[in-house]
Amino acid sequence: MTQAVRRISLAVACLAAGALLVAGGARFWRSIGRHRPSGPQQVSLEKQDDWQAFGGTWQYADGVMRNNSDERGAKLMTGSTELSDYSVEADVLLLGQYGDAGLIIRASDEEEGVDAYHGYMAGLRDLDNTLLLGRADYGWREYIARTVLPRVYAQQWYHVKVLAVGCDFAISATAGNGATTAAAIEDPGCIRSGRFGLKSYNTGAQWRNVEIRPASQEDLQAMIGNVRPPIAVPVQFPTGVEPAPYDKYFEPIQRDLAEHRTDVSAQPISSLRLLSPNATTTVTVHGAVTLTSPVLFIQDSTGGLAIPSSHPHAPLLIGDEIEAKGDAELNDFSSQLHNADVRLLWSHTPVPPVAVTASQAATGSFDAEYVEIEGRLVDKRQDGDRGIVLMLSEGSQDFLALATQTGTATQFQHLKVRSRLRLRGICVVDSHYTHDLTPFAIFLPSFNDIEVMAGPPWWSAGHIIALVMGTLVLILIGLTCYILIERWRMQAVLEERERLAHEMHDTLAQSFAGIGFQLEAIRDELGETADILPQIDLAQEMVHNSHQEARRSIAAMRPDHLEAVGLAGALREAAARMVAGGSTVVVRVNSSGSERAIPLRVSDTLLRIGHEAIANAVRHAHPAYIDVSLRFYSGGVEMIVADDGSGFELTDGLEGFGIRGMHKRADSIGARFTVRTAPGQGTAVQVAAPLPPSLLRSSWRRLRFGLLGRKPSYGHPL
Amino acid sequence: MLPCPIAKSTRFGGWHPPIAEGVAVAAALLMAGACAGCRQARPVVAVIPRTCGTALWEPEHAGAASVARTRGLDIYWNAPMSDDDIQTQISLIEKSLDRGYAGIIVAPIETLPMRTPIRRVLARGVPAVVVDTELGIPPGPLLSYVMSDEKAGGRMAARRIGALLGGHGDIAIMGINPPMMSNTARERSFEDTLAKEFPGVHVAARKFGLPSAPEEQQVAEQLLSSGEKIDAIVALSLASTRGAYYALVEFDRERVVKLVGFDQDLIPPIRTGGIDSVVIQNTFAIGRIAMDLMDGEIHGKSGAAEILVQPVLMTRDNVDSPEVRQILNLSWWPTQ
Repeated sequence: MTQAVRRISLAVACLAAGALLVAGGARFWRSIGRHRPSGPQQVSLEKQDDWQAFGGTWQYADGVMRNNSDERGAKLMTGSTELSDYSVEADVLLLGQYGDAGLIIRASDEEEGVDAYHGYMAGLRDLDNTLLLGRADYGWREYIARTVLPRVYAQQWYHVKVLAVGCDFAISATAGNGATTAAAIEDPGCIRSGRFGLKSYNTGAQWRNVEIRPASQEDLQAMIGNVRPPIAVPVQFPTGVEPAPYDKYFEPIQRDLAEHRTDVSAQPISSLRLLSPNATTTVTVHGAVTLTSPVLFIQDSTGGLAIPSSHPHAPLLIGDEIEAKGDAELNDFSSQLHNADVRLLWSHTPVPPVAVTASQAATGSFDAEYVEIEGRLVDKRQDGDRGIVLMLSEGSQDFLALATQTGTATQFQHLKVRSRLRLRGICVVDSHYTHDLTPFAIFLPSFNDIEVMAGPPWWSAGHIIALVMGTLVLILIGLTCYILIERWRMQAVLEERERLAHEMHDTLAQSFAGIGFQLEAIRDELGETADILPQIDLAQEMVHNSHQEARRSIAAMRPDHLEAVGLAGALREAAARMVAGGSTVVVRVNSSGSERAIPLRVSDTLLRIGHEAIANAVRHAHPAYIDVSLRFYSGGVEMIVADDGSGFELTDGLEGFGIRGMHKRADSIGARFTVRTAPGQGTAVQVAAPLPPSLLRSSWRRLRFGLLGRKPSYGHPL
Repeated sequence: MLPCPIAKSTRFGGWHPPIAEGVAVAAALLMAGACAGCRQARPVVAVIPRTCGTALWEPEHAGAASVARTRGLDIYWNAPMSDDDIQTQISLIEKSLDRGYAGIIVAPIETLPMRTPIRRVLARGVPAVVVDTELGIPPGPLLSYVMSDEKAGGRMAARRIGALLGGHGDIAIMGINPPMMSNTARERSFEDTLAKEFPGVHVAARKFGLPSAPEEQQVAEQLLSSGEKIDAIVALSLASTRGAYYALVEFDRERVVKLVGFDQDLIPPIRTGGIDSVVIQNTFAIGRIAMDLMDGEIHGKSGAAEILVQPVLMTRDNVDSPEVRQILNLSWWPTQ
């Protein structure tokens, strides 16, 4: 048994150690497996599930990833943080002025924010015509700003490459005409690993043909030649602070302003509702672009406006400030601008959304405005290539959310019905979008504008059933463990007792026998006339009694014996031993009720109490009969040892006859202990012990049979 | 056997010794695994300006970092990508609380919406330093204020305008933003000083501020095309300064209409004279002082503080002075 316990303990320890080793091994394997890319790899831009966006409005089409937003510091990341020596290259195109765009390497801990990541960024900036490289640690350190000749043009593709080997970094940009600008630095104390991604700042941008490949010193030399890169020194002042030549920072702004004159008669967007509904009025409005596809939406500080048909002079990005001149059309709840001539005025950071409730949005007051709204997902469906449709509910209002992006299958599948979502998008009340099913709908610029605030509530029917089942299983496991432990403990006690019994048999009982033989020999030697014979006889009787007592004790201490003959049998044998040797006491043992297995702990305790009670009767009560009865009832077992002897005066102290010891034993198994006696009326010792419910017991038997490969014992003791 | 008190015990809660041994071994292995990643972390202070990556707010990073390095503190520097995104700024404060940062330094985008988040920060026993505006919550052991002296800035602008116009002329005030107490203080101080010291200068137009430079540009365009005589414009915010300047360039009147702005942003027009001057906040000193106060608050050594930092009038004459270059310094990283 001890070995079984030890085996189980070791198994638990080994399992824990194994789990740790597996976890550690997996991490190690991951680290070596992903230490370097295995070879040149074209990175798929289409599988947007592999990319993680931090700001921006990202869209993939025809092999090109595009950020439609002028947001400052939009990032799209992928790869493992374990990547170390590698290069990333891609074709990059800046969509607007005064910003930069490029590639991030060795990045980690990304968040939304201008420089909210640890890593390096290399790219092109059209404000000062530079190829730049810097390091972000939630703050920007610019190491390289190398002039690109003739200049960095928006709307032109450049091939940008960044390579990292150890703490050496090299960058290059190649224009369409083949002119290449390159630079390199060494950054002591560099970030040595991280994933890679795309980044733009203050302008939209496009990327295509993104490739990652392992890099070595040879690759570095191929880019910059056989020279050591200079130690990186960050610039101290913001762009434009240097005294000369400062023109380069300002020239693009001046150039743009020269063409910038706007129509000063532009109307606030909200004022369009006051136009005559009976005539087409041509109006001019100014506003920031909040959505470009499938419909152009703009917004000023008074409201939002849809421009379903427009003629932009340049590609528009979210955040662009535009001037639109067209025909105002008044609908029931909103206005639109048709046949609009759209002119880009300025690139700007996108407007932040206004947080509204569904009830507020349902009033129509936020029509065509960029809002943030929360709701619980009621239903979802994918509408072919046209995108996804979500049905949400919040308070007393239902509303739709529409997204047109493709390549988001996994993200769509991860959206669970009954989840709580936060959406950022354009609120529209036009029945063209709502189909008059809901008061309003939300146009989502990208799938990344869905944020899961909380998963489905756990109290679904399935979850509750699973929880109940799980709880029951845990209770069963707990109970099983408790019983196992108790059994192991009892077994240990019994083993120790058995060892003591053997010791007593081999030493004490043998000694008593030897002393008896010696006394017998002395008596024989002295003859029948010796004066000392009465003392010798008394000593012989005392030795005999002691020998019998020792045998009884040995028998009581041997659980294997108890197990073999059962409680009733053991009591019968014990009583028979006590009255042997000429006594006229008649012992009657009987058992009634439906016999059940008694746990070892209970049967042992009952046996020892029975021993004591029978011994007391034999020694002190001089009875004619001793009746030992066992009665099994539904909740337990009752043992009564009754005699017709002299009885005694039952006092509160219960000092004599081992009654206190019997009482304590009964308490230890939760049994009720009663003594009924009076002088001349005999004595009855009654013990009623509870037994475990039979269902659990049978389960336990089956479990034990399964676990330990032992046959269940239906006799005594368990 | 590992030197573990549990393993030394012959009895463990009534369990048989081999069970106790097994459990002890497993627990020790688990603890060893868990503690492999244990590291004594330095306290982190979140510094959240109105936005990042601008000439106005990066010096605050540099100032705060210069003090944090000497006090054994780390900085979490992040902000909304746009300086009118109050919701994101509040989210960053909540995130900082959830991460258990030791303190929060914040430059609120708006005054009123920031009251509740800051009260919640203080209720959690986390110290805060509020930069550039007063929230109406009295300073205490866990809350201090560090602000640019907006009244002084208003006086500087008024005296510059008075001097430029020789004490007589018509001006427009742009960028009035009542939700920001600091902006209101600028405006009132400017107008009070102008009325007292230059009664010959007349305020011909007052315009509310709008969040973006393009919108402010439209305001300025309407102003310049209204036919009203305007000799100078005072722009009370960064966006209105930029918008007014763009409109002046657009109408080719930057040499005719003097522009005095607030908050550092465009530097080249100051060299060319397109912008006469800008009242710049010493955000480098603000960052330094804020982090110093925060260190005191974290260690329970700081009392209630409300500190004003003097602004500087940046003109063509002093744009390259050591004083201004120190204010514009953005080297938040350690310099060897």
